[in-house]
Amino acid sequence: MLVLLFILFGALAVGCALAMVAQRNPLYSAISLIGVFISLACLYVTLAAPFIAAVQVIVYAGAIMVLVVFVIMLLNVEQEERRRTRLKFLVPTAIALAAVLIAEVAFILVSVQEFRVSPSGATSDIGLTQSIGPALFTKYLLPFEITSILLLMAIVGAMTLARRGGLLPAGARVIPGAQQFPLSFVDPKAQPDDLTLVEADSTEEAGRLLGVEKQSTDYADK
Amino acid sequence: MEPQLSWYLALSAVLFTIGVTGVIVKRNIISMFMCIELMLNAVNLTFVAFASFFQDVTGQLFVFIVMTVAAAEAAVGLGIIIAIFRNRESLDVDEASILKL
Repeated sequence: MLVLLFILFGALAVGCALAMVAQRNPLYSAISLIGVFISLACLYVTLAAPFIAAVQVIVYAGAIMVLVVFVIMLLNVEQEERRRTRLKFLVPTAIALAAVLIAEVAFILVSVQEFRVSPSGATSDIGLTQSIGPALFTKYLLPFEITSILLLMAIVGAMTLARRGGLLPAGARVIPGAQQFPLSFVDPKAQPDDLTLVEADSTEEAGRLLGVEKQSTDYADK
Repeated sequence: MEPQLSWYLALSAVLFTIGVTGVIVKRNIISMFMCIELMLNAVNLTFVAFASFFQDVTGQLFVFIVMTVAAAEAAVGLGIIIAIFRNRESLDVDEASILKL
């Protein structure tokens, strides 16, 4: 039974992985990768690790892949264009070297004495949340805390990278709770590079300070 | 007949190799990113297989930490991808061969 499940989900994982590499559209690659994640989660269940299987589905197939698909949609990725292969003579060399590598691995798998360890079976309780929790919060507390710091750094780094920077002019004074608008916000005829800074509590007051009160009242009438 | 440890290791090696091939072959930076995720998952399978066959919970803890690192990597990596796309209007890694933006 376990052998059948292993063959089924292993073949599914390898097939989805190959489809992911073969696809040219990144969205189809993402969907194939979700297939790999879910078949690996099924393999974890057969390995008596239900907690890891659940986290695999939630974190990988849920959070990470949603993020990837979101970015693919956001950036409107076009299909990868097919390019002519450079260095054509390297292709037979690569195939030959891959054959040698596969032969070596097969030789090792066949000739080395099979390492017999008993599979866990259904009676094992090492994969349960009940047994993972104490180890995580006692013996491995330091990696856990370091991971939390890493996540904090990732949050700050992602926000810094994705933010559009460089909008404030040099020498600008940042006042918390204040907004900065260009002069053209109150005067449609103003030059866009006019960077006279005024301090005001409302748009009308800013327009009065800049001498464009008429336009701002026109805005207010409309 | 039960599945042996070496079966899981072989499956993990195959998945890892497919991931490496994808990183080498692909030119789209998002596809390369997904291939890296595949390699991380192959290593996770090795960890879980060893933890299950040796009746030791440590491997599963490391899988948990690897998943957290992968989540952090996804957030930062996708931020970098968005920054590159904003500056170059392309996701081709050959276009981004200079690290300077």
